[in-house]
Order: sequence, then C-alpha cells, then structure tokens
Amino acid sequence: MKNRDITLHINGEEYRLNVAVNRTLLDVLRDELGMTETKYGCGTGECGACTVLVEDKAVNSCLTLAATMDGKRITTVAGLADFGRLDHIQQAFVDEAAIQCGYCTPGMVMKTASLLAQNPDPSEAEIRHALEGNICRCTGYEKIVKAVRKAAETMPGRAAAVEPCKEVVQ
Amino acid sequence: MSEQAIVGTNAPRVDVRDKVTGQAQYAADVRLPGMLYGKVVRCWEHAHARVKRLDLSAAAASPGVVRVLGPKDVTPKRYNSSVLDLMVSESMHDMLGDIDDQPIFTEHVKFQGDAICGIIARSEEAAERAAAKVVVEYEPLPVYLTAEAAKAPGAVQFTPEKPGNRAFQLPEAMFPNNALGGGDVEAAMREADIVVEDAFYVPKQKQCQMEPHAYVAKVDSGGRLTCWTSSQMPKLVQRKLAKLFDLPMNLVKIVPTVIGGGFGTRLGMISEPQACAMALAVPGHPVKLQTLREEDWVISPSRHPGKYWMRIGFKRDGSPLACDARFENYKGGYYLDASGTAFTAGAWLGGMYRFPALRYRGESYFTNQGLTGAYRGYGNPQTNFVLEQLIDRACAGLGADPVEWRKKWHKGVGDDGWCPGVTYPSCALDECLDRGAAAIGWTEKRRKYARQTGTLRRGVGVAVMNHTSGAMPMLLEHTACTVKLNEDATAEILFACSDMGQGSHTALKQIAAETLGFPFEHVQLSGGTSDVAGFDIGAHASRTIYVGGAAVKKACEEVRRQLCERASLQLGVPAEQLDIRDKRIFVQADPARGIDAEAITRAGVYHFVDPATGEPGGVPGQIQGYVSFFAPHNSPPFGASFAEVEVDTETGEVRVLELVNAHDIGRAINPAAVEGQLEGGIQQGLGFVLSEEICYDADGRVQNNSFTDYKMFGPEDMPKITTILVEDADPIGPFGAKSVGESGLVSPVGAVANAIFHAIGIQFTEAPITPEKVLKGIRETGVRDYGSIGGGR
Amino acid sequence: MSSRILPDFDLLLPQSIPDAVELLSAHRDRITVMAGGTDVMVAMKFAQSPAQLPDYVMSLENVPGLAYVLFDPERGLRIGAKATVADLLAQSEVKRHYRALWHAAQTFATGQVRNTATVLGNLLRASPAGDCSCAIYAIGGVVVLHGTSGRREVDIDDFWLSYGVTARRPDELAVELILPLPAAGSRSAFKRMTRTSEDLAKLNVAVRLEMSGNTCVDARLAMGCVAPTPLRLTRTEALLKGRELTAEVLQRVAASVPWEISPIDDKRSTAEYRKQVSGVLLKRAIQEACGAA
Repeated sequence: MKNRDITLHINGEEYRLNVAVNRTLLDVLRDELGMTETKYGCGTGECGACTVLVEDKAVNSCLTLAATMDGKRITTVAGLADFGRLDHIQQAFVDEAAIQCGYCTPGMVMKTASLLAQNPDPSEAEIRHALEGNICRCTGYEKIVKAVRKAAETMPGRAAAVEPCKEVVQ
Repeated sequence: MSEQAIVGTNAPRVDVRDKVTGQAQYAADVRLPGMLYGKVVRCWEHAHARVKRLDLSAAAASPGVVRVLGPKDVTPKRYNSSVLDLMVSESMHDMLGDIDDQPIFTEHVKFQGDAICGIIARSEEAAERAAAKVVVEYEPLPVYLTAEAAKAPGAVQFTPEKPGNRAFQLPEAMFPNNALGGGDVEAAMREADIVVEDAFYVPKQKQCQMEPHAYVAKVDSGGRLTCWTSSQMPKLVQRKLAKLFDLPMNLVKIVPTVIGGGFGTRLGMISEPQACAMALAVPGHPVKLQTLREEDWVISPSRHPGKYWMRIGFKRDGSPLACDARFENYKGGYYLDASGTAFTAGAWLGGMYRFPALRYRGESYFTNQGLTGAYRGYGNPQTNFVLEQLIDRACAGLGADPVEWRKKWHKGVGDDGWCPGVTYPSCALDECLDRGAAAIGWTEKRRKYARQTGTLRRGVGVAVMNHTSGAMPMLLEHTACTVKLNEDATAEILFACSDMGQGSHTALKQIAAETLGFPFEHVQLSGGTSDVAGFDIGAHASRTIYVGGAAVKKACEEVRRQLCERASLQLGVPAEQLDIRDKRIFVQADPARGIDAEAITRAGVYHFVDPATGEPGGVPGQIQGYVSFFAPHNSPPFGASFAEVEVDTETGEVRVLELVNAHDIGRAINPAAVEGQLEGGIQQGLGFVLSEEICYDADGRVQNNSFTDYKMFGPEDMPKITTILVEDADPIGPFGAKSVGESGLVSPVGAVANAIFHAIGIQFTEAPITPEKVLKGIRETGVRDYGSIGGGR
Repeated sequence: MSSRILPDFDLLLPQSIPDAVELLSAHRDRITVMAGGTDVMVAMKFAQSPAQLPDYVMSLENVPGLAYVLFDPERGLRIGAKATVADLLAQSEVKRHYRALWHAAQTFATGQVRNTATVLGNLLRASPAGDCSCAIYAIGGVVVLHGTSGRREVDIDDFWLSYGVTARRPDELAVELILPLPAAGSRSAFKRMTRTSEDLAKLNVAVRLEMSGNTCVDARLAMGCVAPTPLRLTRTEALLKGRELTAEVLQRVAASVPWEISPIDDKRSTAEYRKQVSGVLLKRAIQEACGAA
C-alpha cells in the first residue's frame, strides 16, 4: 500500500488520517497537522528534538513511520499544559532556568516525562543517562539536570510514589 | 538611584513559557497561506569543480514543480554573507579587503555543498523529488584543504582579487610589517633565559545550534520582499538583501523569528539570498526553505581551523620579554569573515599578558573546506589552546606556580585591552584566580598529583582569558532603542537586537524596569520587524547587554527625565530631586510627597481641557524616549578556569572530573542567565579541546556532518561544574555589567590541556586531544610526573 | 544526497509469520523488514543510489506475539523479533544471568532508540560495531528463522557472513533469538570504548567465562569494530581455557588480541589505536566478569 487510513490519538484528541506510508510521524505532526511544537533537529535519531511519547514511551518521531502508528496514543509537549497552566515538568524547566534557545526543550520535556513515568525518583546519574539522546547546545545540561530532579520532586501525588529506585548507572 | 530591586535578580525569562509549551515560532514553524517549498540543489560530489553542464529540464517537468532557477535565472550580483564590511568605514573596508564573491547559484563549486540551482514546488516532497532529477556534469578541479596547498604556485585561483589564494593578512597600512603588537621581538628574545616555542593545530569546530537554518520569503503585491529569518543580525541582513536585489531598504522587510541557537552561525546571512531569489521568482507566494541537518552542516560557516605557531621568551625570574606568534587559518571557498578571526586571535593574545614586545601575524587562505566564519569566541579558544599551554610549559621550566605567574603578569586596569588605546576600566581576574583555586583545591591537588603511580593519573590545570564587550573600537557599535509609555504607565520598548536564547531580552527588561522605576511586569520589550525597529548592528561580539543594555538604559533615562520634569511642575520640586519607584514619582527628601506616574502618562495622552476651569489637565504629549547610541568604550571581561582531569594511561582516555569557571562579569543583571552562559560555554570549550572536529576526506568531502559522527559532550560526559560570578562593577557598563555571551568557552580549553599536562607530563599541540593522540604521546615519551619536569612543583 | 523525506515504497503489513514469509518469498531482495525501524529509516534516508532502496517495506507491526523476552530457568532466554532493547532491560533475569548483554543494552544508543530498536534488529544489521551483537556473540545462542522451507536454527557463530550480510535467506524471517542458560560458575561482562558516552563503539568487547575457582574452564570472547563482522577471539580463548587467571595469564591474553584482529581507520578511531587498546579492554572485561561474579 502507498497510503493507509490510520487513527492517532494525539494529546487526547482523535485524528483520522490517510497518510502516505513514507511519512514519518514527525512529518505528519508538523506538516499535515500543523503541530509544530515537535521539532526537526537531525532526522537520524541522534538529537531528540523530535521526541514524543507513544503510549508513554519516548521515541524519535523522525524515525517512526506514521503509517505504523495506527491506534496509538501520542503525546507532544503541547499536550502537557492545561490551557496555559504548565505541568510540573514544564514548570520545573522554567523555574530552574533550564531553557535557553528552547529548540531542544519540547524533546527534553517529553524525555523527562518518559523517564519519570518509569522512575519517579531518579538519581543524578540516572537523569544524565536518560538525557543522553537529547542534545542541548546551550546549557551544558547543568540546569536541565536540576530541572528534571525538581520535576521529580514536584510530581503530583509524589507522596504515594513507589519506593525510590537508587540504582546507579554504570 | 539607590539600591536595585530588579537588576541582579533571577527575573523570570520572558520567552520560556512559549518555548516550554511548544508555542514559540521558529522559522521552520512559519506556515502561510499559499506557501510553496524551495529546495537548493547542492554539489555533494565535489569540493572543487566547474559546472560543465546543467540540465534543469527533467526537474522542471517533475510533478508539483513551479519554477526551477539556475545561475542565469537570478541576479548575477554577488554577495558576502558576512557583515564585517558593513561594520567598518569605507576606507577601512578597502584596507581589510572585504569582497563580494558569493553567487546565489554557482558555476564554480568551491566547497562541498555549494549551491547549484533552486527548485520551487508545491510541496517539500515534490521539490526534493525534482531536485534528484537535476542533471549536473562537473569538471573536477584540484582540491586544496590547507593553506600550504592553496598557496602553492600553480594552484587554481579562487578569485582574481586575491592572488596566491591569500584571502587576508593584517594590512600593512594599519599593522606595520603585517604584524600586530609592538616592541623589538627579536632583540627581546635574545635577552631571554628561557624560550618556549611550538607549532600547534587548532580544529574546525561546528556551532551545532539545534535549529537547522530555515527561512520563509515572500514578495507582496506592493513589491515588498519579506524574509522570515533567525539571523542574529536582522538589520544588516535587510541592508545586504536590499543591495543584492537592488531594492530600496523600505521594500525589504525582515521578520526575526525565534532563534534556536546561534553561537555565531547566524551572524549575517546563510541562505537568505537563495530563499529571497526564489520568492522573487514567484511573487505573491511565500516560499519556505528548510535545510536538512547535514545540509546546514556544510553550508553554514564553522570555526577557523589552522596552524598556530608561537614562541615566548622569559627572564629567569619569570618576567615575560616577548611573544611572537603566527596564525595561518584555513578559510572555506569564499571570503566571508577572512579578516575577523585572523585579527582577533592576535587581539586576545595582546590583551592577556604584559609582554614588552609582541608580534602577531594572522593570515587567512582560501581552501576547499566548508566555509569558516563567526563562532562564539571568535579566535579566542584557538589562542587559548596555544598561549595557555606555552605559559604552563614555561612555568614548569621556571619552577613557577601557574596561578601565581598569571596573577603577576596578566594585564589589568589601565593596561591596553585587545585594542591599543582602549584601556581596561576594570579587572577582577585576581579574584577569579583566587576563588577558582580555592574551589578546586589547587594548592593541595597540584602538590598531590605532582607525584603519582598507577594507571589512572590525575591533574589540575588553570587557564585565563580576556574577551570583549562589544566590538568598539574596531567595528561599528550602534544601537537604537525606543521606549514609549502607554497611558497606564506601562512601557513598551523596541530594540532590534535578537535574543538568541541567552536571556538578553529578559536582562534588558530588567535594566529598563530598574531604570524607569517600574515593576518588571509593566515593561514589554520586543525586537520588532525591520520596518518598525530602529537600527541595531546585531547580536555579536558579546555586546547585547554591555552596549544594548547601555542604550536601553539611556532611552529609559530619557523617559524618566520627562516623567520627573512633568511631576516637578505638579510637585513644585526640581526634577533632579525626584525619584521613581514602583511607578510612583516622589520627593527624595520627603517620600510621602509624590504622584503616580499613571496620572502623568494618562493626562499626556488623554489630554483635555477642564470645562469648569478652562485649564489643561497636565502636560500634553505621549512620553517617548529614543536613543541612537554609540558605545563610548569597551570593558572586556576576564575569566579563569580550573579543570581536574583523570587520564587513563593504558587507553589515553581523558575524563574531566571538575571544571570551575570563575568569571569577571562586572555585574550579573540576571545571575541564572549568566550562569547559563558559562555552563553552556564549558560544554563547547570541552568539545573544542577534547572531542570536536570537522574532518574532510582527501577530496574535501566532510566526513562527519551528523551528530552520529561529530561528537559533542553529552550529559554523562559533563564534569561537575562550579560557576563563580565575580562581581566587581565596571565603571562604564550598565549597572556595572560586562559581557558574558562568548567568553565562558574560552579558558576551559587551556585549563583542560594544562590539567592533562599536569597529570601525565605531556603537552599536546593538536586539538582536539583525543585518546588516540594521548596514547601516542604516552607511547612516544612515556608518562612523566609533573614533579619531575624542569623545576616544576 | 540524503533526504528528510523518505523515498517512495510500498508498505506491507503481514498479519502472521506465514504471511510475512510469503511476502518475503515473493519480493525477496526488493523488500526490507522493519521491526523497530531505527536502522531501516536512517538507511533509507541516506541511501546513495536508488539501487540501495527497497521497493517494499514490510512492517511487523501486525504480526502478533513477537515482542516477548522470556526467561526459562531450564532452557534460557528467548527474545522475540519485536522485543526492543528496552523490553530486554525490563526483564529482570537478564541482568542476573546475562550481564554482558544487560550492560550492552544499558549503554546501547539512546533511550528513545532503546524504546524502538529491537535486539534481533541489531543482529540482523550485521554491523561489526553492534553492542548487543557483541554481547550475544560472547554468550552464544541461536537465531530462529522461518522460511518457505520451514523453521531452522542458525548458531550465532555462523550467523554473520560479512559486513551487513547474515545467514538469513531472502525468504526467511528472523523470528527469535535463544540464548542458552548460563552454566554454574558462568559470568560475563561487556565493555566498550566510545568518543563520548552516547556513541557507536570504536571498540567493544564481551566475555563469557566458565570459572571454577580462579580457573577458567571455558571462555568465549567477542570483539567488535575490529573486522568486517563481530569477531570471536578464538586463539585468545585458547590461552584462557584451563588456566588460572593470574596476572601473567592476563598479560599474555591481552598481548594476544592485536594479532587476532584486523581493524581499520574510520571516523571513530584508527586501526593503530584499536590494536593498542584491544588487549587492555579485553583484560578489563575479564577482570570485571570475575569481579562481578
């Protein structure tokens, strides 16, 4: 097939689309749906600017064929804020001055969301390991690491969070 | 004004909510009705060739194609994508030899990625498919990748204006014997007890800003060309495009988009000429031109690589006598920025230490490498790698402590800065050195690591640097700023200099609010499009706060003066005895007496005559402040970096354990933003010295134009970072501020190299210092305790 | 030139393994199999000529039941064709019994790629630099292939034929990988050298040692980036077998490695450097395996 009818659940909304099979998820989000919050940075899965969540897992949308995403739940950075109210990750990035040019930020935030979903209490080493795959050229990562840590600490319902996982990444 | 309430705080960044929600609009995010898509067909096969035949017929017939543009379909005029020619006077322009040598589409390919022709189509996919159908036959030419190759007799000439392929050398008229400096170097060297000398190679580093270059251009029904671009210099791009396309400037409009990282790569133009040439071919339709990462890589200028030779003579007591240096850098195939780095590398050298005699010669040669131009630091990391290593080599021989030597011999207040005649008004480098040394545990670790055993060897190293705050007096330093008060006494500021993400607009807003005596939230600052905003030279040379901040301050002072004068009429107190805080104008000696600014601004706009009394209500007229500001001086920042490294002597791998960056910033307007500049600078400095280099094959094709093959330090590679802001207010800068935009990356370079020297007793003359080079060095000379070198301690 | 827009192709979505085998058989070398797609997508974007591009991309999206990582204490570990590297890391027994593979998977590419790329895909890519491939080579195992003539198993020792080429026939689908249950006293380790933390290896090594006290009963040593495919260091293995792991033996083992490898200069390192550090890296992997018993 050259085109496929698919349904995507993006940020809580359902989209029925007919996509050319050679379109990446990034192409469909940006060019067909006008959701420009997800960025193109390299096209080879190295920089992470295009990171979105597919079923709560961070993936590079530039290396994902949209046609194979039928029925999937996709979250972009625009799906986090609630009409102007930032979520705890976004707020942490703002508070810790972790944003400079901002181009990597949507991907960084989504990567953080994915990390904290799996590991609500990451150590600094775990944060740094998780952020490999999201390149930032502005900050030296220093304030981004702090922001991720702060996001973990301010996660809603944190008191009920699972037992901290303190394993150190080698 | 008394103590400051807003300057010096971490005021919330003005741009981050848009950025963190994905609403910030970068150029590639611009979508307009009727938009077409452009694609530049580039030469990927050759770095040097002539186009023998160009057949566009198949591409033109490809589905969805609207126009194809070859060299003859666009203006034959050439341009220079750099902007240095606009920053110097006409007479100096001739002296510096700037030329316009870049065609929109070329028939002589001078580097891999040179533009051949353009496609305009209804979709990006259609444009790409058509691009694949363009037929080009090339006649390959010899490829020159070094200055030696390019200047060899018989080499193909890049341009008739530059015989011998020498793009630039320091001009005789300005620099006798084509050298910067003064004193008799040869005579001084003869007096020296110790001379250190070596030939170095400094690498070609890529800015790697995260947003690949993208543009939208459109010609409207009135014939006005509009270009959406994330250039660091929108006003100069407006002038350049007007000149290239023979349009009056009022028919060229630049819409600055959010900048996804600059670091110099957006200084001037990159593909604006191609994007606009396409728009001119399809009036009425916007054309979007986006570059791929690998395309951005080859077309945007990178840091100047080259050979850097230096020799320094000292007396036995450590006093420096003379420094002799020569930097021969490898340009790409076009002239842009040929004069800049060749000069500044020597300027930073001259600004650092009190050498009684100095001779620096800088030259640029055309090669078939990718283009070179501005990159954060602009010649400074190159000089730091060379100078700071040789100083430490000398210190080892002299038995001098590298921190103490630097404290004794660095330039300071009253000495000439990088430009003779422009003296340093402030210098807190001693404090940087003291606090940095304390933070890293210098004395103890220097002693401890001087004798070591085992596979892993540690070392600590130091390096210092000076930079600049704006480009005065070498280049034009001009910024216009308009401040207008709304009727509710809120301020709107127009200031054309872009915020590249460093937080400059936030800091400028702080300066404005502080100066006006208004709350931060009641001040708006925007860059504005070129038809609205006044002149500004652009975001370069670490000038935005030092020069731009001074302009904003001055314009706000004018507004403040007007407010106080009007208040003075009502309060019956001379204006100079009034102060403003929180939008209330009050008598300094009696703060209870005052008037709200809003009463004045409202009456100025909604100006009515009282029907009962027939008296006018207040002074008529909207309050505006305007300044066309020229920087009167330059207050360079200084910095000291300390690095601790661990060298694996079996593999040559170097781990940076800690990096302390102590910076003489004058005054931090927004400390978190300043820290961000220094921390980000460290990441780029570590890359320069340890991991980053663009490589070419023998045919001049870039080997690593992707993040897969060009490796920058990631979050796990970064060391523990300690940032020390040394605040010793500069007497000239706004609120005492000096610059910080570029300088953070400079001295980490020398500090890491010197820490390696301390760890294993070997210096490396080629950057980046890769494990391959370290292991080779170890195999050749063996690991040496620093304590056993010379009289070192 | 490379393109951000992918080339034209037909997408095939088989519903079962037999469906997939039939499609493979029909289109043979004109078809590319996509599981995670991280390699396939980049290869298509950067293809130098149309000849390198497939006409068909067969996605395993709708083929059910291949995303498993199953540990059986009797028989070992089964990794399905759609199991991602992240799936592997999520299986707690992997870290315990296959430490080399766990470590390789941990440092493999980036989190996003680990969430997408499959373990089998790493084997099928047949790159000499594959981290998971290197670890699996040292551990040993078989690749299960389904083709028109039925199911067959190929020992990992026979799986890589040359750069980018495997023993998989054009009509075959790689369905799973089976790793043996480690014997008592077995331990493994993986090490790699990269330019920065996130990178393709310039050199990687994995060891599996069967130890009895301090004596090495059996050893499998695999090294990457030193030959057109991942390489078994069989001569060096012989120096270990039956020996007590003394400093002298380790020294001899390390000295033997450069003679067994034929690395090249490339973007990531030089042949000379790889030879110089190959023994060091192997020695450290052996030490880590023994230390991490």
